Amino acid sequence: MRGVVGVRKREILLGNEAIARGVVEAGCEVASAYPGTPSSEILPAIARFADELGTKTAVEWAVNEKVAFEVAAAAAFAGKRSCAVMKQVGLNVAADALMSVAYFELAGGFLVVVADDPGPHSSQTEQDSRAFAHFAKIPCFDPATAEEARDMVAVAYDLSEKYHMPVMLRPTGRVDHARQDVELREIAAPERPARFTKDVRRWVCLPAHVRLNHPQLNAKNDAIREEFETSFDAFTYEVPAKEKAKLGIVASGVSFAIVSDLLAAWGRTDVALLKIGTPVPLPVRRVESFLARHEKVLLLEETYPVIEEQLRDRTKVLGRWNGAVPREGELLPEVIAGIVARALGEPLPEAVDPSLKAALEELQVKPRPPMLCPGCPHRASFFAIRKAVPNGIYPSDIGCYTLGVNQKMVDSVICMGASVTQPSGFHLAYRVDGKEQPIVATIGDSTFFHMGIPGLVNAVYNRHAFVLAILDNSITAMTGGQPNPAVGEKLRKGDPGRAVDIAGVVRGCGVSFVRTVEAYDIPTGIDVVKEAWEHARREKEPAVVLFRHPCMLLRCEQAKVPVRVDQEKCVGCRFCINFFNCPALRFDEEKKKAFVDDRFCVACGVCREVCPHGAIVPIREEE
Amino acid sequence: MQYVVVGLGGQGILFSSKVLGHIALGRGMHVLGSEVHGMAQRGGSVVSHFKVGNYLSPLVRSGDADILLAFDQNEAFRNLQFLKKGGQAVLNVHAPEALDNAHLRRFCDSRNLRLCAIPGYDILREHMGGRFLFLNVLILGAMCGAGVSDIPMEQMRHAVAELSPEKFREANCRVLELGYGHFTA
Ligand SMILES: Cc1ncc(C[n+]2csc(CCOP(=O)(O)OP(=O)(O)O)c2C)c(N)n1
Ligand code: SF4
Ligand code: SF4
Repeated sequence: MRGVVGVRKREILLGNEAIARGVVEAGCEVASAYPGTPSSEILPAIARFADELGTKTAVEWAVNEKVAFEVAAAAAFAGKRSCAVMKQVGLNVAADALMSVAYFELAGGFLVVVADDPGPHSSQTEQDSRAFAHFAKIPCFDPATAEEARDMVAVAYDLSEKYHMPVMLRPTGRVDHARQDVELREIAAPERPARFTKDVRRWVCLPAHVRLNHPQLNAKNDAIREEFETSFDAFTYEVPAKEKAKLGIVASGVSFAIVSDLLAAWGRTDVALLKIGTPVPLPVRRVESFLARHEKVLLLEETYPVIEEQLRDRTKVLGRWNGAVPREGELLPEVIAGIVARALGEPLPEAVDPSLKAALEELQVKPRPPMLCPGCPHRASFFAIRKAVPNGIYPSDIGCYTLGVNQKMVDSVICMGASVTQPSGFHLAYRVDGKEQPIVATIGDSTFFHMGIPGLVNAVYNRHAFVLAILDNSITAMTGGQPNPAVGEKLRKGDPGRAVDIAGVVRGCGVSFVRTVEAYDIPTGIDVVKEAWEHARREKEPAVVLFRHPCMLLRCEQAKVPVRVDQEKCVGCRFCINFFNCPALRFDEEKKKAFVDDRFCVACGVCREVCPHGAIVPIREEE
Repeated sequence: MQYVVVGLGGQGILFSSKVLGHIALGRGMHVLGSEVHGMAQRGGSVVSHFKVGNYLSPLVRSGDADILLAFDQNEAFRNLQFLKKGGQAVLNVHAPEALDNAHLRRFCDSRNLRLCAIPGYDILREHMGGRFLFLNVLILGAMCGAGVSDIPMEQMRHAVAELSPEKFREANCRVLELGYGHFTA
């Protein structure tokens, strides 16, 4: 099977590493990605395994998902096995290219890995990428475990090459971030030489060609559906009940794993399972046959009813259409336990114990929301912006700095890049009323390259007055610390990149006011942002301030300035808590004073500038 | 054996499941767990799951965990419902008086839970100059010292030494003994 030449030992891998292992084992030679939870660890692991196994694979961070998708697609035009990796909302960005490339007759295998985030834990939507595969008419694999995800990669490449079309692997976060022992294999597929054969009919998506390609795409879907009906039994199979089944369950993805463990824990032998690893195009006959053999069938899939809606007759199905399965949120073990118990007519598992609930209330224990790290440069930048333009509208973007919401400095967020375009809309809304509204938008360095540039050109061209603060921390922090064009580092050993200067790009977009400040230097930050807003309103154009200071994840050496709150000077106004929001600045509810919590303080010293009463003071040596 | 490890983003909780996984694999067992990456890592509440044995799902269901390792006492309390009847917890406490809360004690008694508290911050202030990144090994040591798991301390010592980066090896081993000693000395 799959030309596997050897078996190595088992190793504990993160699901994303298992996927990466599969990609390298399958002989992928061009891999491109943009980071995004829960997909971010895949590409660095591809680079690591490629280094370890000595393959020539090109492994690159792209500036956004559309770029990643197109880079990988063109490599497949040239006959290479390639892959593009992204999170679910990244596919929205790459959607234009995906919809088009689906119609192509590719030369090499092209795998698109799209990680979904039911919950969501780290995303702006809870969308289901399998539905996108369905929309684009490309096949999709839905792994239940990390090891299965790795196995699916090789099969997906074979399918992609057989039908000359992109194939999607759709893990969810629980598969991406599972850690399990996985058997390592050697590289299976031989290298394919780069050979781009010119053929306008094949590579240029003129309407005349699309008219020919669309029926061909439909035929491919029919053929693949038939293959999913009759083979691919490693991923789509039944687990019959040991006795007469009281209930049938169709489950896809990690829901299958959860429900299997649950039935084992409950010792239930009267429930039959149909596992679907190939939800798009759905092998409908398999499901209909299962339905015919069971009185009631529960359908568990995350997060949209993709399998459910491909069924012709849903009358026997307990699913989303009749409210048996919640239409939003993650199908956690506790949720699935409730759904299955209800379907079986058993008593529901107990809810939170009343004495534990009472204890949590009395002890005032609440979940701790995410916060910017102690010492984070963004916190200082936000503070300076508020001081400079206190009555502003503050559109922002996606990154660690979205947590500036805790400082009341993030008023609106849509998706990556929209921090540069929302100010234009706000500006115009007030301008048509003949009013002037101060606006300061914030965007991270990685996000600026991702999708910030078109909006900035648009604002210069149309003369929109606002300040754009680019928060350059020399890293893509939110997703775990990947390099980006401003940094210039690449992933594979011996493959140097080149840094792209943000200020130069901004000037190139036509912005005349571009100033750089050290983010920790709050007084200068205040002056420069004031100046920038004055310039913007006077000249009727966007002005850009670049706040620079490395992210704490980079652990750069910096001066240590231990601080304390002078208990005499502190008046208990909570200003520092409300507008600076460092996890290490806490409030003593009994004494009604702020204090520095040494469990979290990193002695960055920035908060000295914050207290209006001068109560936050450095701890001098002798103290 | 099912573990739940809880704490706050940035406390380095992933290292403890790494050690547990290494030990289990060495004993020829299957391991499966679930980690937290992304937004929640920024100082928020994080829960990671870890199972040893023949499982398919990486998640521990509420009420099924044998052992809870908590890097923060509030996170421990919030996640006590993960423990099964007779389950055990090792928790780092900064305000131990909370353990006397009557409702909390009633809950623990009704489920026969065993809470092993260790004042991790105090210990690390005294012995490690307040470098709280060592909480993870302190808790692993405490877990062995309090007899909460069936992993012998000798095996734990080996695993921690093997998995520690060179730079932290010596200090990690020292802190592991501090955790162990807190319950055995
Ligand atoms: C289209 C899309 N792709 C990826 C992501 C995941 N993501 C969230 S924030 C972020 C990058 C943030 O980096 P940066 O702008 O440098 O800000 P920082 O986190 O460093 O403050 C990414 C890639 C997303 N939300 N949307
Ligand atoms: S990871 Fe970096 S950018 Fe993100 S909150 Fe921490 S210091 Fe700030
Ligand atoms: S010095 Fe101030 S701002 Fe910096 S980490 Fe400590 S309390 Fe927070």
